[in-house]
Amino acid sequence: MTKRIVVIAEHFNGRLVPVTFELLACALEIQRFRQVPISVVILGDRVEDLAHEIAGASGLEVIAIQDPDLITYNGEIYKNILGEVLPELSPVCICIAHTGQGWDFAPGLAVRLGAACITGVERLFEEDGRICFTRAIFGGKLVADFRVASDPTIITVQPGSFKKASFEARTLGSVILRTVSYQSRQSRSLGIKRAKEESSAVTEADVVVSAGKGIGRKENLEIIERLAALFPKSAVAGSRSVCDSKWLDRNRQVGLTGASVNPRLYIAAGISGASQHIAGMRSSGFIVAINTDPNAAIFNVSDVCVVEDLTAFIPVFIEACEKSNA
Amino acid sequence: MKILICVKQVPESDAAIKMDDCARWIRPEKSISYKMNRFDEFAVEESVLIKEAFPGTRVDAISVGPARAAMVVKRAIGMGADNGVHVETGDHGYLNPLIVASLIAGYARDRQYNLILTGIMSEDAMHGMVGPMLAELLSLPCATSVIFEKISPETETIRVEREIKGGYRDTLELKCPAVLTIQGGINKPRYPSLSNMLRAKHQKLVTIVASPDDRPGPREEVMRVSYPQKSRSGMVLEGGREEKAARLLKILREKTLI
Repeated sequence: MTKRIVVIAEHFNGRLVPVTFELLACALEIQRFRQVPISVVILGDRVEDLAHEIAGASGLEVIAIQDPDLITYNGEIYKNILGEVLPELSPVCICIAHTGQGWDFAPGLAVRLGAACITGVERLFEEDGRICFTRAIFGGKLVADFRVASDPTIITVQPGSFKKASFEARTLGSVILRTVSYQSRQSRSLGIKRAKEESSAVTEADVVVSAGKGIGRKENLEIIERLAALFPKSAVAGSRSVCDSKWLDRNRQVGLTGASVNPRLYIAAGISGASQHIAGMRSSGFIVAINTDPNAAIFNVSDVCVVEDLTAFIPVFIEACEKSNA
Repeated sequence: MKILICVKQVPESDAAIKMDDCARWIRPEKSISYKMNRFDEFAVEESVLIKEAFPGTRVDAISVGPARAAMVVKRAIGMGADNGVHVETGDHGYLNPLIVASLIAGYARDRQYNLILTGIMSEDAMHGMVGPMLAELLSLPCATSVIFEKISPETETIRVEREIKGGYRDTLELKCPAVLTIQGGINKPRYPSLSNMLRAKHQKLVTIVASPDDRPGPREEVMRVSYPQKSRSGMVLEGGREEKAARLLKILREKTLI
């Protein structure tokens, strides 16, 4: 049977999530080293249109599996369906998004399929005839290269790591529609809830000044606010740990589980730069980082690095700015 | 009710992490101090909150790791866990998540836990796999990235909210026993109390020495670790504080960002 690379498409609220096209890009890179066809699998209660959208854009074969119980994502149903469907496809590699959905079902699915599993993949390359995957460890201070002993391999791909695939679609692609019914027995999805506040202040700002654990205490947020006030259309944001400490509202959080931002200028103050945070701000126009630790991971994605204590540096910067305006 | 919490020992987050000589994992330097994985602290706190809400609940803490990992089991007891289990492995540096999950599954199987909690991921390896793999090995339902939970003892179910992205939560109900991986921010982890720490000091942990036969062969392996590539120029500003401030201002002006 033909081996394949399989992409599990992700969708939300009736729309394909951008990471789906990044997964296709990742699959195309894998295909350079393993010349086997790519198939896309999409699951949901009504996903025929989305399947056609992918097939049309990519020219690939898309397998749409409809289950009336999949009104929203359910990990148990995903594992049950994929646990049965994937072996039929003889996958060498299964590309899944490193998101609240993909990361939820991928490790369990790997156990079920006897597959290797590598989460949070940011890059891949070939060495000694084997595909190797690079992912961040230690909050992004280091990266580790992983390789696998045998097929299949499940990877979850960090959003923003691969550039959206572009296809010269010579073919129209095809959609195979299947309908199944796997009722979940151990879990029951009760729907998606929207948090009270929206994060639009953060996502729509031209300049985002973001505070990390390095601010030390809540009172120091005042410095961050003063810095943000220097810029028109600016917003104060924060890392996960700052929001966990309730120093900032949850709707101010930037990162994988918070808002994704791409302002003209992003200033990361006291942010170590865990990959989850970077996933939410890496596409910003210009990035300035202020951190006492010269090895902080945030500096790897920054245009300008300031190795300083933010509580000392920012007031000096504000003063310099006010002086030059006077 | 019986709860198992899985905790991991990790280096302090501000520890200067260096690669080992063959670049296979980090150098286990004497200077590195260790602590409980931050996300596991939220899991321990959540289990202690459940224990407080449902008297008679028993909380066991388990950790898989080298001899020094016993410290985090003691800390969990200090935070309010009743018993501690240490599955002792050699100091191999990197432990594959499937192996860890299998060792915990080996302990948890047949012990009738109603709930198994762990942090969403470890701060060092950052896989986020042990929880969902453990659930699969034990054929239990699983929810990851849990930011809210509420147990209904009469129906033996647990209602959870999973944090997904940008302010959305996925709500679901799981049948107990179940495995939850806990997201940061669900609660405010307490400091160990003095009386509990004294108890932890004298309490004997259940120590299980993991033999190589207990472990499935790893399906993936770490080839090497390295320092990350820079994705941008990363110009480092030199000089004194005032010089750096002036330089930054000049750059932002040139780019018409200020």
